[in-house]
Amino acid sequence: MPSMARDETSKYTDLLPDGKARQFTLVMDAKSVITRPSGEQKLDRPGFCEIRGLAWSGRGAISRVEVSTDGGGSWTDAEIEGPRYAKSFTRFRSPWRWDGRRHVLMSRATDDTGYVQPTLAALLEARGRATIYHNNRIKAWEVHESGEVTNVEA
Amino acid sequence: MSRRSGLIPAALIVVAGAAIAAESERTGLGHQATAEELGAAGYTVFPDGKGLPQGQGTAREGKAVYQQFCAACHGRSAQGEDAAALVGGRGSLTSERPRKTVESYWPYATTLWDYIRRSMPYESPGSLTNDEIYGVVAHFLDLMNLVGEDDVLDRESLPKVEMPNRDGFVPDDRPDTGG
Ligand code: HEC
Repeated sequence: MPSMARDETSKYTDLLPDGKARQFTLVMDAKSVITRPSGEQKLDRPGFCEIRGLAWSGRGAISRVEVSTDGGGSWTDAEIEGPRYAKSFTRFRSPWRWDGRRHVLMSRATDDTGYVQPTLAALLEARGRATIYHNNRIKAWEVHESGEVTNVEA
Repeated sequence: MSRRSGLIPAALIVVAGAAIAAESERTGLGHQATAEELGAAGYTVFPDGKGLPQGQGTAREGKAVYQQFCAACHGRSAQGEDAAALVGGRGSLTSERPRKTVESYWPYATTLWDYIRRSMPYESPGSLTNDEIYGVVAHFLDLMNLVGEDDVLDRESLPKVEMPNRDGFVPDDRPDTGG
């Protein structure tokens, strides 16, 4: 039997709406984040801007990353750079031309089990609001007309 | 402090030791862990009571320990002041705002013993005696109405305490979204 230590029993367990909790939720599902442009950065001027970021998954290697510059309306495959290992940060990049207008940037990772990173709405639908760890929802950044980049929940 | 070093199976040390010795010979890094360093492996308390040391305490004794060493952060009645609320929240897990506390959420009372020995009081972990830990654990369990004020808690009786949320867990069945 496991030792049932404090963090394993009370942190690495995810409480679901029916009052039962998953035990032990140690695996991190696929997740990604755009690191450039990202919160607190500023784009100097309209023009070429390479979107870059990191993706990872606790279940395998990253097989695909898509990027959206219109808040999830349309998606483009990003280029995945090596090395590409299971449970490891994997770099991706996607060329973009910023037209000086407001945009919401997102990235969506798929791992080699076929799992696709979910939206926040899908996560809330499946888990309710009481889980804390493993928030792997698609992350969005807002690029303002001023070039400033801020956190946004889209 | 009353830490006892655990017993490490000799075969394990020999096998791991040979590999480590070869690596550190090659790289000049690291050293074979000593029995003393490995003592931490015998420091864990399990739900069946394995790893619990000798000693005992009652809620009455533990209340004094609590007021002196813990109440400043956890509040006079352990409902949480600056730090985590330890008691309360029972029956709230299905509500809109579930309150996950030791009382409402933790499946095993032995976890309290293990965690307090390792980590509390926050600024001076390891400073309580085993008797004081049994006492303060008894005090919490008394506040949760799981033991009486003069019930003696020791390595025999603590594992028998049944926490309210013992059966509140299901295996991790993720992935629950996506392909
Ligand atoms: C200086 C403030 C402080 C003092 C004093 C203190 N604690 Fe804590 N305690 C904390 C904090 C902060 C946490 C949360 C730690 C974390 O999450 O890593 C905590 C967490 C805990 C938890 C786990 C609660 C949970 O829900 O996960 C227990 C049990 C606990 N303390 C017991 C005690 C006991 C017993 C004492 C006295 C012997 C004590 N504490 C003294 C600050 C304190």
